[in-house]
Amino acid sequence: MSAKINPLANPKGANKVCELCEEPAYIQCTKCFVTFYCGREHQDDDWIAIHQKVCQLLIPVRTPVPYYTLEAEREQHCTQILERQKLLMEISQMVAEKKLFEKRHKESLPAALLSLRSAMDIYGTSGVQLVPAYLLLAEANIGLGNLSPAEQYLTWADWTVVRTPDCSRTVRNKLHRCMGRLFIVKGNLEEALFHLANDIYYASEEYGQDSIVTCGGYFLMADVFFKQGKMDIVNSLYTEVANTWHSHLSKLLEKHIENTITPEESFDEAQQAEADQMLRSMLDVPDGCPEQQPDQSAALAHSLGMLWLLDKDPAKALEFGKRALLYSQLVPDCSLTEPIQRLLQLAEEDLNAANKGWPELPHYPSAHTENQKST
Amino acid sequence: MFTPAVLREHVPFLPPIRNTDKLFQSRDKLRGSLSGTSKARAQTKAKEPEQTSQVEDDSNKYSLTKDEVAIFRNSHKHNLCVEMLRQGYHRSFSELLALIHRWNATRAAAEHGASIWQQQPLEEQHHKLDQLQHLLTRAETAQRAGRYEEVYENQVALACYFVEPEDKWLSHHFYETGLVSARRVKQDGGRREAEANSNMGHVCTERGQLETAREHYEAFHHLTEGQAWKDEAGRTLHSQACQCLWGIYTLLADKMLENKEYGPAIETLTKAFQMAKEGGDKAVEGQAAYRVGLAYQSAGNHRTAERYLNLYVDISTVLGDEESLGNAYKAFAKSLESEGKLGESVEYLEKFVEVSQDESLKHNLEEACMCLGVFFCSKGQYDRGCQHFERAYEIAQHLNNVCVLQKAQVYLGTARACMMMASYSGQVAQARRVDTCKLVAWKESRNDMFIDADATARESPLHNPVSRR
Repeated sequence: MSAKINPLANPKGANKVCELCEEPAYIQCTKCFVTFYCGREHQDDDWIAIHQKVCQLLIPVRTPVPYYTLEAEREQHCTQILERQKLLMEISQMVAEKKLFEKRHKESLPAALLSLRSAMDIYGTSGVQLVPAYLLLAEANIGLGNLSPAEQYLTWADWTVVRTPDCSRTVRNKLHRCMGRLFIVKGNLEEALFHLANDIYYASEEYGQDSIVTCGGYFLMADVFFKQGKMDIVNSLYTEVANTWHSHLSKLLEKHIENTITPEESFDEAQQAEADQMLRSMLDVPDGCPEQQPDQSAALAHSLGMLWLLDKDPAKALEFGKRALLYSQLVPDCSLTEPIQRLLQLAEEDLNAANKGWPELPHYPSAHTENQKST
Repeated sequence: MFTPAVLREHVPFLPPIRNTDKLFQSRDKLRGSLSGTSKARAQTKAKEPEQTSQVEDDSNKYSLTKDEVAIFRNSHKHNLCVEMLRQGYHRSFSELLALIHRWNATRAAAEHGASIWQQQPLEEQHHKLDQLQHLLTRAETAQRAGRYEEVYENQVALACYFVEPEDKWLSHHFYETGLVSARRVKQDGGRREAEANSNMGHVCTERGQLETAREHYEAFHHLTEGQAWKDEAGRTLHSQACQCLWGIYTLLADKMLENKEYGPAIETLTKAFQMAKEGGDKAVEGQAAYRVGLAYQSAGNHRTAERYLNLYVDISTVLGDEESLGNAYKAFAKSLESEGKLGESVEYLEKFVEVSQDESLKHNLEEACMCLGVFFCSKGQYDRGCQHFERAYEIAQHLNNVCVLQKAQVYLGTARACMMMASYSGQVAQARRVDTCKLVAWKESRNDMFIDADATARESPLHNPVSRR
């Protein structure tokens, strides 16, 4: 899979550098012959992270342009390459995002790097399209604890956004959230608040105030205030977040029952994991926090129950539903009791169905088994 | 050798580059206007040891902090929002943003050319946004601490701040939220809730939602019952509540009367009368009684009407209010007339004239005379009718009211014509030579010569002059 190359044997002017660290390269990938590495270690990292998915795609992009006699041919070649580069960028970005959500920061780094490179190839070094790639890189670096490269990437992203006056609010929102995260990790809470405030502002303008995107900003902000010891603000923010999630999930469940849920509305795994973590951390009050109101706890436990029910895990849903019921009984005439009981009922039905196995369908021998028998 | 004879002042060839004091001043102002957090930051900078070299000092002077950059780069609304969020005032932020969005949505819903398109958008009116931010954040601080009375006061302050007609909706919004927070005030026995209900009553009346207004005023009344709370002017809140309820009941009854629903209208007006009695303001009580009386009158129940009118008369006599006394007499006369008691009716009308002698009550006097005139004319006593109309006409000349004057003129003319009619038609019917001469003479002179000429003619049957009006 790897072949050694000697840097001294390279043709003049062609410096082969490592795909990851940009040091002089000593080995190359034998499947595409267009990617080079400084050593075995980096090649393995890149292979696991992204290269196995894009190896063949890289060949046409990185080989020099063949000689075409006709103008039309040259143009066609150009557009083809451009399309491929865009595809490459999309794939690598998606992979990086996925790995980030799965908290495999080290693996997302090479993918993000590739996405940045292809974005630079397409849009030049100052296009606003580079910002998502920068953000991915920064986030991966924050996750790995490398703060100075993260800051570097964020500074570039910030500069790019500053130079683009008509930059969309989505991009600004993401940038500020990422910067907020960075400053929280760095411990510069004032700066973090500044960026998170901007993040929430853009998110509310773009998605509306009761969207779960805005809610994420509030949650991070509550984290900062928690570190500053301002418990009253933390509590009021948590209430806000809990209410937003609760109403969002209730709506989703309603649609789920009616079976009118649209694909955009349903969660993917990453969002599901994030929501679960967020709600759980609010439910399990950390020490030193004043006791939560039982109605808020009930709402949180109810939300978690709905979340797991939507994620087809009725056992967990049942567990949280019972917990929610306990909390709701502490509150006199709680309005939540009825929906919680309905949730429990739904979860039990699902659980029974799962225990029984699949609903009993009349058994037809499939074509596949027939074939097996005949052989 | 080259030394100049006169010492010249040293004038630099180029203007000084560091002529930027103005810029610094404006920037310092901005820094001052920044929030507490940035102030703190500026202070920490100021505290830095003074030995810092000139270069550092300069760079400090020229460099801008992130907040200052944001002031120039972002909109005022954006900066305000960020400022609030940084201090954790997320409720204020969402309320402010929701208000701005609501205004924008209202404008988008209105058709082009509507007056709302002429107004300045809320997000561009900086002083209003500043005021909103100031009071909302104060309310939120109080809310976090659980001091709902302070929350309520701040919201009411906001509601009072927006007085211009195009800001009415903001004022209404804050009265509404004020009611919510007033309900959570526990210590004051419900006084703030009562006040908030009264405010909401005003708001609903302004919007024309009379039923909701009535509910709020009833709550206001209920809460103030048995309490001795007083406002700044020294009036008890309870009597205020009674008066407000009286007002809203009367308004409701007006609506019913327009639709000719006499039964419910009388019921509502009686409630209003009860409230007025409870409120303890005699003038209002009299007014309420008068309205009940009128309602009974239009429903045809003159007996009960007279009872209420009597109450009104009593109260007005005690208060010495001649105008209302006059109104009462007029209503009485009308009632009696419809009952057929003409003599008594005239008596009341004459009383009406009597109490309306005052200079300020000229219009009433004129009205009374007109009533009397109409009455006598309808009975065929044209000469007396004429007298009253003449008097009414004289008064009307000084009233500066063309409409009234014209009416008096027409009535007077008709009455005079009716007076002549009998003898004139008698003469036409007899058609003797003398009569013909008289008619011709009258046609020439157009002077009234019939009245003395033929007294008997008055007994002949007449047209109803009222129908000629």
